[in-house]
Amino acid sequence: MADAITKSGYTAHDEKITARSSLFYRPQAKTGLMSWLTTVDHKRIGFLYGVFALFFFLVGGVEALLIRIQLAVPNNNFLSAQQYNEMFTMHATTMIFLAIMPLSAAFFNFIMPLQIGARDVAFPRLNAFSLWVFLAGAIIVNLGWFLHDGAPNGGWFGYTPLTTRAFSPNHAIDMWVMGLQLLGVASIAASLNFITTIINMRAPGLTMMRLPVFTWMTLITAFLIVLSFPAITIALVELMMDRSFSTNFFEVSNGGMPILWTHLFWVFGHPEVYILILPGMGIISEILPTFSRKPLFGYPIVVFSGACIGFLGFGVWSHHMFTTGMGTVATAAFAMTTMAIAVPTGVKIFNWIGTIWGGHISMRTPMMFALGFIWLFMFGGFSGIMHSAAPADAQQHNSYFVVAHFHYVLIGGSLFALLAGIHYWFPLMFGRKVSEFWGKLSFWVIFIGFNTTFFPMHFLGLNGMPRRTFTYDPNMGWNNSNFIATIGAFILGVGVTIYFAVMVYTYFKGERVKNDPWDGRTLEWSLPNPVPEYNYRVIPVVHARDAFWYEKQHKEEIAAEHAKLEKAESAHGGIHMPFQSIYPFIASLGILIGGVGVATIDSNPDPKVIVGKKLTVCLIGLGIFLYGVYCWALEGNEGYHLHLDGHDSSDTKH
Amino acid sequence: MRLHKFLHNSFTNIRSLGAVASLALLSGCSWQSLLGLDGKQSTFITEGPVARTQLDLFYVTCYVTFAIFVIVASILAYATIKFKARTPAEESAIPPEEGHGNPLIEVGLIAASVFALVIIAVPTLKGIWYTYDVPVEEKANAYEITATGYQWWFKFEYLNEQVPGAGVLTTGNELVVPAGRPIHVNLRSMDVMHSFWIPKLAGKVDMIPNRGNLLWFKADKPGYFWGQCAEFCGDSHALMRFRVIALSPRDFNDWLDQQSKSYRVVASTGSGLGKAQFASLRSFKENEPGVSGDFEVSPLDAWKAKQFPEKNENPELITRGMHLFSEKTCNTCHMIRGYAGAVGVAGPELTHVGSRTTIAGGNLDNNAEQLQRWIHNPGAVKPGNKMWVNGYLLNNIKLTSEDEVALVAFLQSLK
Repeated sequence: MADAITKSGYTAHDEKITARSSLFYRPQAKTGLMSWLTTVDHKRIGFLYGVFALFFFLVGGVEALLIRIQLAVPNNNFLSAQQYNEMFTMHATTMIFLAIMPLSAAFFNFIMPLQIGARDVAFPRLNAFSLWVFLAGAIIVNLGWFLHDGAPNGGWFGYTPLTTRAFSPNHAIDMWVMGLQLLGVASIAASLNFITTIINMRAPGLTMMRLPVFTWMTLITAFLIVLSFPAITIALVELMMDRSFSTNFFEVSNGGMPILWTHLFWVFGHPEVYILILPGMGIISEILPTFSRKPLFGYPIVVFSGACIGFLGFGVWSHHMFTTGMGTVATAAFAMTTMAIAVPTGVKIFNWIGTIWGGHISMRTPMMFALGFIWLFMFGGFSGIMHSAAPADAQQHNSYFVVAHFHYVLIGGSLFALLAGIHYWFPLMFGRKVSEFWGKLSFWVIFIGFNTTFFPMHFLGLNGMPRRTFTYDPNMGWNNSNFIATIGAFILGVGVTIYFAVMVYTYFKGERVKNDPWDGRTLEWSLPNPVPEYNYRVIPVVHARDAFWYEKQHKEEIAAEHAKLEKAESAHGGIHMPFQSIYPFIASLGILIGGVGVATIDSNPDPKVIVGKKLTVCLIGLGIFLYGVYCWALEGNEGYHLHLDGHDSSDTKH
Repeated sequence: MRLHKFLHNSFTNIRSLGAVASLALLSGCSWQSLLGLDGKQSTFITEGPVARTQLDLFYVTCYVTFAIFVIVASILAYATIKFKARTPAEESAIPPEEGHGNPLIEVGLIAASVFALVIIAVPTLKGIWYTYDVPVEEKANAYEITATGYQWWFKFEYLNEQVPGAGVLTTGNELVVPAGRPIHVNLRSMDVMHSFWIPKLAGKVDMIPNRGNLLWFKADKPGYFWGQCAEFCGDSHALMRFRVIALSPRDFNDWLDQQSKSYRVVASTGSGLGKAQFASLRSFKENEPGVSGDFEVSPLDAWKAKQFPEKNENPELITRGMHLFSEKTCNTCHMIRGYAGAVGVAGPELTHVGSRTTIAGGNLDNNAEQLQRWIHNPGAVKPGNKMWVNGYLLNNIKLTSEDEVALVAFLQSLK
């Protein structure tokens, strides 16, 4: 990557930074470790998000395989009850917060600014901060694997009072609570950044109703994150107070209300589902038009249905709680809103089919994954409708039927879309293209493995097998389906291994391609690959919805316009780039150290111990954090100008 | 179960599947059993009106989604095949007309989706009200029980049955109810969240601390049903199981009479105990199933047989076990009505534990071998349970195998 981005062939000469006499050294490394720690380039940050996400994706995958080994046969003791509970807790936490969300964030970072014709996000250093805080949260959540207390084992939903100190006295849950709060900080900071970027930094002419659908979904997802994460943050802070300082939000023996947790959690938890799927829908809405060689069918409806899902997504949380005894009216209301949300979701599927209808479908790997997405997501949608019928859900809830349902929407939906996206944008990111043969092979193996694993789970659930159970008796009628599911899981594992092996191979040795290999429609394909640091030599003017497609149809007009714009821009001072900075990383490092301290601090501390060791850790973390934030504020948000034609370079204040 | 053994069984199953299928069709066997969906907790086999309402609604959702699936999937498949570019030239050509959308089609499809959902919505609303509480016209006939969840067992209290001097009649892990009467179950929890689920009788409702919930069901006819906790509740959530036994009104009244009595005393004959009588039972592998196939041939009859004293009772051994029960401090957590000092309420009440078909929260058959397995090492049967602390029974108790045999005999005598 360093190679790809830095040797990207732009002709700027070395910047000589002689900024105002400043206390603060601005790092300028373009290669090496420091260049990555100090980067504010949205593409590099996106790349790092992707690398971390894929690493955790593999970790979560291994956890899933261990779960499936344990359940392959009845009364298995491959894992102990405790280990199994850790495994499913961490599998879900990892896949949701450390794999799918950051993988979406990787695309938000890398692709969205390119699609709107921007040179970076609105707050480049905040963007770096989001990345490093995400990593800090990820480390803390996983820390338990290496400590005596073990990994978190209260479920990704962390229902109280099981997660209160009375029932989970050790620090595993503290680490989960702290890690999730940090992941929330990272997500909210990143989302505010994306919202500001999309609202303010669109190229001239790029009106909201000309935005590429992926950018639209980025915007909606960012709003969902900003509005829903506070709910879980409140819940987590309350739980942390309960655990560390003996408050009584959820402490039953003192009158706490566990039902409060379930509401707060799902007020976050359901929008979270759409946070996971909307980016995928955005990616699909880019891929289908490109490979059908047609514009998206019903663009306004696709956008509005996305927004509609976003709104309704906040009004359906209690369908996760149909069995909590909410009473008839509340249950009925949430059943109805849940059915209502099926309409905009269905509309999207109709429009995707409308998009390929009458097109010239070119069956490349990204398109295969995109079509696979539609099929599997449709299945997930149908079982979702079955859940909305609350009385029927009383049988399905917390059974394997639900496990089947949400894996169809999260693997068949989100993950297939993200895998499609990786294939689709790989040439743009790295200038190389994945072999069609290996790409398609991985698709089929993943597709078959996925269905073999999760289709039988529908029947397991309806046949009465509850989820989150580490064992089952051989006489319950669940043996065959479980065994098939385990075989499927390994096929899926092989498919994913092929997929990533091919990706790694392609990164180093894949076939090089020129820019725009798919004959793309949106602005990012107008860029050379790999994309230069400054993205656009000239900020383009957008004339139509599929901006690049329009440019390709109106070459002369656009060339003339570009020449004019370039002149204007260079008169204006050249390409403005933000300085790199180390302080977001330092602030996050402080958060990591302090977070570890808080998460492992004893609840009933021996005064000597707390003053001696653990409090010290917290204070050191706090000190580093404050130092980072202080310097970050003082170093200023300056940047420098690039002049690509090689006349001069000057340093200016922003 | 070992993997190879399982594989062997599976292959044997598959080989005989063809024969079984044709035989089953001839004999009018149900489709559920053909598809292997006739498990003990199958939601496809309903034995009461609540589960039936839920299943009927599920079928409605299946029909509607299947209809949508057929339409959408065939259009999608057709479009994919029909419009696939087959040559490089075709691939790079631009389709003639660029359809951006068609408002009529869009609105039509939205209307159709809404219509499809209304088909589901109407029975959903009806079902919500019907399944929530006992219907008004049946309220007078309803029988009320309180079920309380603990990590990891269920306590059942019969609110209408007062036992003189001991409060309401209480049992654990096996809920005996009258068939044909609506049962109103108050759901409580004393520690973490649990969920009460008897798939063949009714969908689940959660047991939440500091919150009163309720559920109702009715068993069409006498029967024996499997249930399980359906909300993750800690280490042994998977092992928090229970049974529901529905009896005819007469049997039920007999059972109530029997249960209301104090514990059954087996008088010592004063003949003393020999070494041979302490013959240790057998040892178990940690992951050996606690249930056997013999029991399942006719579970309700097996349950009925359990109501009578075991053959070969040894009064001496039982008396020894009775003394051990307080000597080893079992009585601090477990109540046995009539037994002086056995007034604990932290664990299941054991006054008539010998009459239950299962022990250890519905996990083990209630026989001598499994009972010994349970008290020998409760942590291996149900990880994390409160009877087992750091390799000892609670209160640092260690049992010799002779103690275990005697206690087992005593517990088995509690009919």
